[in-house]
Amino acid sequence: MSNLIKTIDTTDCLEGIESVCDIEGGRISGEIFYDQKIYEQELEKVFARCWLFVGHESQIKKTGDYITTTMGEDEVIVIRQKSGGVKVLLNACPHRGNKVCFSESGSTRGFICNYHGWSFNVEGNLIGQHESGIYEDSNFDKSKWGLKEVAKVDSYKGLIFATFDPDSPTLEEYLGPMTWYLDSLFDNQEGGTEFVGGCIRSTYECNWKIAAENFVGDILHAGWTHDSAARAMLGGSVAKVSDFDESYSVNWNGHGYEFALDTVGNVAVLGDSQLNKYLHTIKPSVAERLGEFRSNMIGSVSSCTIFPNFSFLAGQNTVRIWQPRGPNKIELFTWVVVNKSAPQDIKDRWRKGAMMTFSPTGVFEMDDGENWEYCTKTAKGKVTAKQDLFIGLGMDTYLEDTDLPANVYKGQLNEANSRAFYQRWQDLLQAKSWAEVPNRNKGKAEVEK
Amino acid sequence: MEKVYLCKATDLEANQVKKIENNTFGDIAVYNLGGQFYATADLCTHATASLAEGDIEDDMIVCPVHWGMFHIPSGEAQGFPCETDLQTYPVEVVGDEVFAVIEVDENIIAKA
Amino acid sequence: MNSKDQQLTPVSMEMHYKVTGFLNMEYRLLDEERFSEWLTLMADDIHYWMPGIENRRRENLLSEGFYDPNHMAFFDDNITDLSRRVARFAQPSAWAENPATRNVHTLSNVEVFEGESESELLVYSVFQSVRSRGQDEEYVIFGRRRDLLVKSGDSFKIRKRLILMPNATLSCKNINTFL
Repeated sequence: MSNLIKTIDTTDCLEGIESVCDIEGGRISGEIFYDQKIYEQELEKVFARCWLFVGHESQIKKTGDYITTTMGEDEVIVIRQKSGGVKVLLNACPHRGNKVCFSESGSTRGFICNYHGWSFNVEGNLIGQHESGIYEDSNFDKSKWGLKEVAKVDSYKGLIFATFDPDSPTLEEYLGPMTWYLDSLFDNQEGGTEFVGGCIRSTYECNWKIAAENFVGDILHAGWTHDSAARAMLGGSVAKVSDFDESYSVNWNGHGYEFALDTVGNVAVLGDSQLNKYLHTIKPSVAERLGEFRSNMIGSVSSCTIFPNFSFLAGQNTVRIWQPRGPNKIELFTWVVVNKSAPQDIKDRWRKGAMMTFSPTGVFEMDDGENWEYCTKTAKGKVTAKQDLFIGLGMDTYLEDTDLPANVYKGQLNEANSRAFYQRWQDLLQAKSWAEVPNRNKGKAEVEK
Repeated sequence: MEKVYLCKATDLEANQVKKIENNTFGDIAVYNLGGQFYATADLCTHATASLAEGDIEDDMIVCPVHWGMFHIPSGEAQGFPCETDLQTYPVEVVGDEVFAVIEVDENIIAKA
Repeated sequence: MNSKDQQLTPVSMEMHYKVTGFLNMEYRLLDEERFSEWLTLMADDIHYWMPGIENRRRENLLSEGFYDPNHMAFFDDNITDLSRRVARFAQPSAWAENPATRNVHTLSNVEVFEGESESELLVYSVFQSVRSRGQDEEYVIFGRRRDLLVKSGDSFKIRKRLILMPNATLSCKNINTFL
């Protein structure tokens, strides 16, 4: 237990957050995308507190398999233990702080710091140093100087999350009833999912919230922003979302999922009929497993963000983290998720299709980047940053009378999820501890297991 | 010449290594490589580390601390950062008992 | 990409001259946004491949070192995929292409060798792509390339292209060009 990360003292909350983020009034200010002081607060009160996605179980199958990632701007190693569990360790040597693992993934007996030869095993314990006799002469206690371990690690259906905050709610409480919706992608077949090999990393000059919010509930942009990609891939425009009979925006604790029930609207843009066919083939078994409703979501027009920065698209099967790198920069990590039980050919088609559409060379993503960068960059102007930005669509769409879990809003062309996302962000920034974070959920918390 | 009892042959499975504490000659690592027994000093020649806690890869022992390697039959240092060869001891198996045969010479007595 | 174990036989000076001329022409078409014409330089069975580069330790390399054919890739395209990318450039709603991206592609270190059959040629080269967008954006990508060309009348078609940049993290938001 001595290797647990020392918790950081919470600094005072910034004054005036209400004025840049007025959710009931349906407005925010561009300042929240460019201000360094706000960003420093986010690293501490959002990223050092929330459960953050750190990897998929399938990426680290055997003892010693590891991936490196970041939690906020903190570098961590996610490594499979002999016990079968997973540890998340700070990627920093406790001697002078040097990075101990310089590769993005691999399999190892442990990590040896390049600086003074401090050597750590897969559990992060310090097991020796170069010139070990010198340390013994100084009565050095090795057991106290292992790699620091994050407060909590847990996983849900293959998705591994970690938090630096020992006082955070459990992962189950944190995700709440959103898991019911997550299952439509991550547990629609026996055996669950796996990530395709590799991780594509790219750099945007945008604020992390712009990207996260785009996936939390902004299907509205798709019909306009992505017209060119849809015409290229489908030979016509994207599905007119306002034509759908039934669609929803659901959220909980700042997470949001917006979706239609058209089964294949998202997968269709990959332009590969074999993938549509696969989803239609598995649909009856999904209905048996998860019920009719969620079998309509497996590749439907939809998007999701788990607060703060983990997003995915069912159908395109792109999974991503928007890693914060300053107020106006992110590093984007993307992966492709597939059903473990799918035929290899189908997995390969998804790998190619996801990259063809949502990657730095993806025809859809191509038109997102510039929008996000300039939503951020315009806020460089002090006057511009103080202007109101409208975020008020669908103010009166909350559904009281529904059996669906979480906070449910009618229609996916709706800014309800975006508002819930920024509300949660504001709540965290204004809270000195988890106990002070208000519970704003009003929908059904329980889900059938 | 001294015969030091190490362990029962049946107590050490194939491709396993075990540390035998010995205050006179220094701890000894005994190995079973596919039925053939070997013995070496247990202390790594580079830094403080018990080789018995390392992994056997073919006929090499990999030090658990800095992953240097020694050839088990000859004790030869074969991987950075290990440069000094490891003391080896001839092994005798009598019935089910494994012994190391140690030449009593002040120069090779490792620190206890 | 590793040429170490390959039997490499350089082509004649005349053939070398023709090949470099062809590749320079290809880059001129890209810089002038003549994508449909560019597409005609591809063989029907083109494999246009730019794998993702993974930063891994020497003892944990992938099947091709820093990349793997079964892993994620920036491009892993056949002729249909390339046609779709070209089709996007042609849309008036390709918002991020208006104002246009201004491109300069250069090719150097060109080495041309005989291919496995008489009709094929193996070309190693180094590329540089400079893109400028908007008022002040500039993106530079360097890398190595291995092309398999097939003779076609007086000219060539591109049958295989392997594009390797050294970066494990793309330092910009996209690659809205061909390399």
